Amino acid sequence: MATPPDHPAVPEPSPERETRHAPLVALKNVDFAYDERPVLRRISFTLEAGDFVGIVGPNGSGKSTLVDLIDGIHQPVAGEVLVKGLATRRYKRKAMAREVALVPQHFDLDFDLAVREVVEMGAYCRGKDPAACGDPELMLARLGVAELASRRFSELSGGEKQLAVLAQALMQQAPLLLLDEPASALDVSHQLRLFDLLKELNAGGLTVLCILHDLNLALHYFDKLLVLSDGEVAAFGPPDEVLAPEVVEAVYGVRAYLHRHAGRTYLTFSPRLRGERRGRVHLVCGGGTGAGMMRELVDAGYEVTAGVLNALDTDEETGSELGLHMAVEAPFSPVGEEAHAENLQLMRAADLVVVTAVPVSHGNARNLEAARDALAAGIPVWADEGVRASDFVGAVAGLAEGGAQFFAGEEALLAAVRGRSLPGGRAPVVSPAAARVAAPAAADDPTPTASGDPPPGEAAT
Amino acid sequence: MSKLARTGTWPGILLVSGMLAVCLVLALALGPAPLSVGRIWQLLFAGPVPGDLDNAIFWQIRMPRVLTAALVGAALAVSGVILQDLFLNPLTDPYVTGVSSGAALGATIGIVLHLSNLSWITVLAIVGGLGTLAIVWMAARRRGRIDVFVLLLAGVTIAYLASAVVTVLMIKANQDMTAIIYWLMGSFSGRGWPDVRIALVTIPFMVLPLFFTREMDIMLQGEKRALELGVEVERTKRMLLVTAGVLTALAVSVSGIIGFVGLVVPHIVRLLVGPGHRGLLPVSLLAGASMMVVADLLSRTVIAPNEIPVGVVTTFVGAPLFVYLLRRGRRA
Repeated sequence: MATPPDHPAVPEPSPERETRHAPLVALKNVDFAYDERPVLRRISFTLEAGDFVGIVGPNGSGKSTLVDLIDGIHQPVAGEVLVKGLATRRYKRKAMAREVALVPQHFDLDFDLAVREVVEMGAYCRGKDPAACGDPELMLARLGVAELASRRFSELSGGEKQLAVLAQALMQQAPLLLLDEPASALDVSHQLRLFDLLKELNAGGLTVLCILHDLNLALHYFDKLLVLSDGEVAAFGPPDEVLAPEVVEAVYGVRAYLHRHAGRTYLTFSPRLRGERRGRVHLVCGGGTGAGMMRELVDAGYEVTAGVLNALDTDEETGSELGLHMAVEAPFSPVGEEAHAENLQLMRAADLVVVTAVPVSHGNARNLEAARDALAAGIPVWADEGVRASDFVGAVAGLAEGGAQFFAGEEALLAAVRGRSLPGGRAPVVSPAAARVAAPAAADDPTPTASGDPPPGEAAT
Repeated sequence: MSKLARTGTWPGILLVSGMLAVCLVLALALGPAPLSVGRIWQLLFAGPVPGDLDNAIFWQIRMPRVLTAALVGAALAVSGVILQDLFLNPLTDPYVTGVSSGAALGATIGIVLHLSNLSWITVLAIVGGLGTLAIVWMAARRRGRIDVFVLLLAGVTIAYLASAVVTVLMIKANQDMTAIIYWLMGSFSGRGWPDVRIALVTIPFMVLPLFFTREMDIMLQGEKRALELGVEVERTKRMLLVTAGVLTALAVSVSGIIGFVGLVVPHIVRLLVGPGHRGLLPVSLLAGASMMVVADLLSRTVIAPNEIPVGVVTTFVGAPLFVYLLRRGRRA
């Protein structure tokens, strides 16, 4: 663990505890059910002193229940929950409160108590000796909110209440702090302050186990993450390993993309259509003309490929964030044989080739040749009308001759793709000979006809 | 407790103690035969002396009646604090658990059976009250836990049931109707030293919660949070419920059903010293005693020589006060 427990966080050993080394918390094959409804299944993991662990998982995956089990609020139906080697059911509540402090998710108080009084309640488990209990005002000062002490609890803002309850929990002086979504009611600045504070407390020897929903905060702050899915441990380990996009996708059922930027890693998400893929689209793009479409098509459930793109190109970067299969050429180099061959393969596997308003020069004119090959192979090619204007080498003309259809801009293209169902795996059969070439669509009527097919028209040029 | 509560607690206790002393003196002085404060002082130190009329009025009539009223008022107020905070419900009073209705049923049975000996009626009232508590308790117990919500519902249900039985008994026993009605409305008329002795039993039950003020404070945050902070919630809850039940049963058994004291006094006291139990419990105890002594004084002097049942007086005073408090929108 990052922080060795060189600060003895445990104030006093409990008399009945087994003395041989036992992890701070150990769950062994724990099952739990509310009445007959199973909530947790076969949960096993351990926490060592000094650990800084986050728990993530979808709503209803059993996170709060897990935390309550560790605090001995619930008892497992099967298996064992041990705190310092002793089963939680053998603890009296006061002894438990000296080992485990919990910051609950929902906390409110309808009575007009001063914050100082509320914080002081945390010292209940420490008995009546004021020296052993600690000073509630000092605790508030430690959290940077000394001024709250004499205010009424019911008058505090959500963030202030959260800090007051954290202060209350810290008054227990327990070696383990559990937090149940402490950040959910906080704005971004309070969230960061809270997690920095937890990190600081952890550096001082406190073991922290914290439920949170924000996967990016989880990724940044925690040494280890426990991913709960449907009542079971889906993963437990370093954040960048357990929050791999595949895991997130499996646990949450959304698409996840991992980005690295300025030395940090983050995740972005998009809703994912489960089940059938809607078809495969190959993009001929570059210079940022295809980035938006890549996301749109991926989110809409299409399998997207692209090429040939130069490495470090905006579209190439977006594509790799999205995890797309692309034919890539070295930066600032014209399309070479190898990349061209790969691109052809990708196009042949596609149900549709889309050409964005990419500037066409000698460097990438081969991509349009490839598209023409695709047309010849019976794969439809739809192009953004704008590509005519940005074609500096006259390559588009060949595309039009080959039977490509043209659309007035990205929106129109997307609408056409969405409106037309691509039969998974196979292109709509459009014989090149029979295919009429789409006319340049009128700007005010860019959408395809009611049938969902692109508007027919006369041959271009 | 913290400094803030301490500075509120002791002045509060002093203030209300002074108020109770004034109320006691007034109640002992006023009546068909008024006594001066100096005379009260003399009589207090003289002790009961046979043959002296003033002395007899003071020691045989007024003193037991005033003491009974004070103890009943204190018991109802303490019971009210406990139940309101246990149920986290400001509208709870000592009667919602059904204890008072059970006690009323017991007393009614005693009256109908012509157990003219007052202490038998008292015993039956206590048995009825605690018996009801036991039934409600069993209804609310699930896997070793007391579900306070179920307890509340069961209490209200049993209260209606007991009232229905009382009504049937009243119709059956026509000639006892007045006695039963007077008992149901509550009165300290004719209470003597045997009643004081029963009422004195409430004292340990009023003192007991004073040792659990910290637990009671913490339980204001809800049962789960109290568990997390180390309170043995079930044990504390059981102890407090039994305490409140015994206090209510004892109070009802000597005085009949007197409303509003247990409901209103805790609310007023929270405004004075805050919701912390270190102040709330003792101040409520003293304030409840004061309010009941004054209510009894009014009940026997306003339309003297006739008496208004004291429950009517507390309701006349309590109802507008309570509406006023509700209008102020106090949450506590």
